[in-house]
Amino acid sequence: MGEQRAPGSARAGDPEGSRIRKGAGLGAPGVIAVTGLGTFLGRGVVERLLARSSELRVVGLDHRHPFRLDDRVRFHRIDLTEPTADSRLAEILRRERAEALVHAAFRSRPTPDLEMDHELETIGSLHVMNACAAAKVKRLVLASSTMLYGPYPDNPNFLSESHRLRGHPHAHCVQNRVEAESLLAEWRERYPDTEVTVLRPCWIMGPRHWDHVTGYFSLPVVPKVMGYDPLLQFVHEEDCLHAFERATLAPHPGVFNVVGRGVLPLSTLLRLAGKRPLSLPGPLLHRMASYPTQAQTGDPPSAFYDYLRYLWVADGQRGWEAFGEPTYTTKEAWISFVSSRRMRRYR
Amino acid sequence: MAEDTPLNPGAPGSDPELDELRDALDALRSQIRSRFPVPRERRAGPPDWEGLFRELRRRLSTLGMIERSGEVDEFGMDEVVLRRARPLLEFLAERYWRLEVDGLERLPEKGPCLVVANRSGLLPYDGLVLAQVIERARPLAERPRFFVADWLITLPFVQPYLARLGGVRACRENAERLLGAGRFVIAFPEGAKGATKVFRERYRIQRFGRGGVVRIALERRVPLIPVGIVGAEEAHPVLFKWNAPGRRLGLPFLPVTPTFPLLGPLGLLPLPAKWVMRIGEALPLDHLEPDAADDELLISRLTADLRERIQGLVDEGLSQRESIWG
Repeated sequence: MGEQRAPGSARAGDPEGSRIRKGAGLGAPGVIAVTGLGTFLGRGVVERLLARSSELRVVGLDHRHPFRLDDRVRFHRIDLTEPTADSRLAEILRRERAEALVHAAFRSRPTPDLEMDHELETIGSLHVMNACAAAKVKRLVLASSTMLYGPYPDNPNFLSESHRLRGHPHAHCVQNRVEAESLLAEWRERYPDTEVTVLRPCWIMGPRHWDHVTGYFSLPVVPKVMGYDPLLQFVHEEDCLHAFERATLAPHPGVFNVVGRGVLPLSTLLRLAGKRPLSLPGPLLHRMASYPTQAQTGDPPSAFYDYLRYLWVADGQRGWEAFGEPTYTTKEAWISFVSSRRMRRYR
Repeated sequence: MAEDTPLNPGAPGSDPELDELRDALDALRSQIRSRFPVPRERRAGPPDWEGLFRELRRRLSTLGMIERSGEVDEFGMDEVVLRRARPLLEFLAERYWRLEVDGLERLPEKGPCLVVANRSGLLPYDGLVLAQVIERARPLAERPRFFVADWLITLPFVQPYLARLGGVRACRENAERLLGAGRFVIAFPEGAKGATKVFRERYRIQRFGRGGVVRIALERRVPLIPVGIVGAEEAHPVLFKWNAPGRRLGLPFLPVTPTFPLLGPLGLLPLPAKWVMRIGEALPLDHLEPDAADDELLISRLTADLRERIQGLVDEGLSQRESIWG
């Protein structure tokens, strides 16, 4: 059914280019689907792919039409939380002849709607995987996070990709994504023909990126746990998007941490930003922040503040070898974020 | 003595050339002086209260080691904090504990090298001092890192300082990374058992973990140097362990030393015992086969051997010392 005259090839893009490339197998894909067009990563990857070459055809998928979408993107509305989203998505992918898919439809900040988050992040990912298998998509790129390793006192200073994903018991979004990754690991064994790339960026910093982490760091007074000063690492948004672009266009099967070089203690970061930290003893902080964070994220405060207590720095060597040296170090990424938000206060 | 007269400034006009030279020198001096800021003169009169207050506030706000660099290395060591801490460490080692070190020549010229010592005292003064000693003896190598047990590296208020001073959580991954970078690594395989033993059991070396130290040395083929440290036990003599309040604070127990809960935070200051450090011969590993790291029996035998060597070094150190204090 979907074989008759793919609607995409009649119009936008460059059908010839994609058809020629298609014969090349797993080289550079001609048609790339991106889920989560409204998220920072989805939008950024699409922008980069379009800027890179006019031969690429980009299919955008999201549950609502993003504001200011490039004309060259072929947009399809799809809600991954629907029970039949997988067959609909498979139909779209088959019709568009998508060869690669970037799955970035994840919440940038957790919501109190725990069930909805689970439906979107875990079940939605499952739908995407099943649709990829049905539509015989050749490459799947999953946006994950180093937060999935979880902050634990017994973490080594540098977590490698093979380290167990322990997540955080209270952070429901992290747990959902851990579950999605374990589903993907099973799926990869069942469909060995599809190249699977999992990219785990750490906290992304930059002028345009916005999520609950940057929101926290933009607070006028930054609350932190007294007596703890963990090492943190960041990746700049451009480096992160660069890694996603490279992973989409060239074969890089496997799991990669996407992090910047260097680490900095939290207190030094706040000093560099000229911010005033508010150090509170752990129990007091948890009690004070309990209701606000439950209302905002649906999790107790430890779900976030544990990441500012214990170490969860990832080893980026593998990612640097695969995608090239990042242009920004942790410190430069932080400075870029700080200066773009005009939050430096000179004292 | 007649030659002295031309140099004598008390006779002007005796030699026009010398006068000329003197004038030129004066001009040069005044030129040089004008380039430097004039030292502020001590003013008589009312003191500058505002300036004093500002200075006091600055000192207070920088009290918590906030004066640190904007960069740390990958394990969180801060060169600026270390530079400020070094004189204090030197003072502690040289004057306060009157440290004696034997066998420094047995350390290899450069890393990677695994230095294994007995752990004693609650706070890791032994690691800090041993790192300082090795750094002084081998200035070309990078500063050694010392391993810290989990419970200490996650202890609030202790963790930030330990990391900045070069403490690293003791685990296999960190050891491999540090040795791979060619560093000296100081390990205390007794772990928490060593740090928390009570005074009655002093200088009795506990079981050595699960042989991880020897295994890593075999895999990486790095020299394994035993070190016996005497004196750190008396820095914090733990009389007994008090379990109930410690658990409430998130500690395994609350240590009771002659000074600690009694004098509050002041009780955390170490006592001025006499320290002796004895560095032993490297454990011979060269004759072993390349797959020796898989031989569990060999590893446990070597671990026991290492433990005995360190016990021997400690016993020698104890007999070298006349009393705890001298």
